[in-house]
Amino acid sequence: MIRVTKIFLFTIMLSLVYSCGGSTENTETDGFDDFTVPDSVLAEEDEPLIVSEQAMEDIISNISSPVEMSSLIKESGVQFNYKYLNSTDNIDNYNTGFIQALNLGILGADLGYLNMYNKTGTVLSYITSIKTLADNLKVGQFFDFSMLKRLATNSDNLDSLMYISVSSFDQMDVFLRENNRSDVSALIVTGVWLEGLFLATQVVSDSPNKEITERIGEQKLILNDLLLILNNYKRDKKFFDLIERINKIKALFKDVSITYEVGEPEAVEVNGVLTIIQNETSVVNITDEQIKAITAEVENVRNFIVK
Amino acid sequence: MKKIVIILLSLIVFVFVVKSQCNSSLVTICSSGLADNAMYLKELKVRLKAKETGKKAPVARYSLMLNKGNHYRFSVCNAKEFSGKAIIQLYDKDRLLGSSYMAKKHYPAFDFICKKTAVYKVLISFEDGKSGCAVGILSMID
Repeated sequence: MIRVTKIFLFTIMLSLVYSCGGSTENTETDGFDDFTVPDSVLAEEDEPLIVSEQAMEDIISNISSPVEMSSLIKESGVQFNYKYLNSTDNIDNYNTGFIQALNLGILGADLGYLNMYNKTGTVLSYITSIKTLADNLKVGQFFDFSMLKRLATNSDNLDSLMYISVSSFDQMDVFLRENNRSDVSALIVTGVWLEGLFLATQVVSDSPNKEITERIGEQKLILNDLLLILNNYKRDKKFFDLIERINKIKALFKDVSITYEVGEPEAVEVNGVLTIIQNETSVVNITDEQIKAITAEVENVRNFIVK
Repeated sequence: MKKIVIILLSLIVFVFVVKSQCNSSLVTICSSGLADNAMYLKELKVRLKAKETGKKAPVARYSLMLNKGNHYRFSVCNAKEFSGKAIIQLYDKDRLLGSSYMAKKHYPAFDFICKKTAVYKVLISFEDGKSGCAVGILSMID
């Protein structure tokens, strides 16, 4: 009887240990000296960051998924074009954590574009490059390379491929911010944003399109927030230079205006799904000259990063 | 005594088998239930304690940029081991645009046809301030 009780107590303890313990993923960061912004460049000791972690999380969420921009491009009827993408041959040139993080974002946006057009053959080389950069940045554990590779070999797996790709980037971003590596997160997000804008401006330059032009103009809403994050690290020269470059893009958006027309939302049921139709609209006023100038400057900044 | 031990052990095994859904498996379950024409964009995980007496019910707040011209879907899935039923609400500043709980009815999802690019607020809470664990999935409809 005592023995049974002991077994019982042991089982209880075991179950408690099991239920209270979290998963322990391999999250080693040892040896990651190449790209960690020293505290001294952030602020004086105990001085808070300009943007809190919570605000940073909000801002990062506000930068649209690259999937949305790629979807808009595809819906416009524009044909897929390899020339818009950053070549994976360049990745050997990316020898600092700073430039690796930016290019991880750029390749992530390119992956969204490739996925959208179902270019599964090319996807594989992008996944390989993303994995290489992520490993260098010690966040490779969020990319299940074998699964992504398996999904990429069959075009029927597009939905899963999209889900795993987006989800891997999201998990990596959360991990970076939770581990006081928001600087890396900020650079990846900047890369994603910049490449989305690059794709849109290149497409519009080849095939003018009202919806994509408007989406370019709407980036004005994000620029200030993006700069707010980057300014946290402006004492680092590399960040300072990047901020200067993005400020040049920002200056070109100064005269882009967005106006709003008020309206009441309607709730209707469509095919059994509760649907809210917004009747308040936004209108972007942007000229062809402004688009040309933005296109040129975005290309400059992007070329500086992907070279 | 032996019977009690067996019953308790069975209960523990049952807990292991049913296992908590309040983790990333809930995201997988919820996203796998998306319609064929829905494209996954983001997950919003939430776990809230029960409302304390005399205090407001806990709410999780998120901020999201939604783009004009897109048809979004906000889906919500609850972890089975919690009694709380999640309510997901979409706000434009302080103005409520949509909710998964209307006229005392829970909807598994609601769609939002966006005509204004802006930063919106998404709030997730649990009905009657119960404790709960849920995931909200933002997807885009083709």
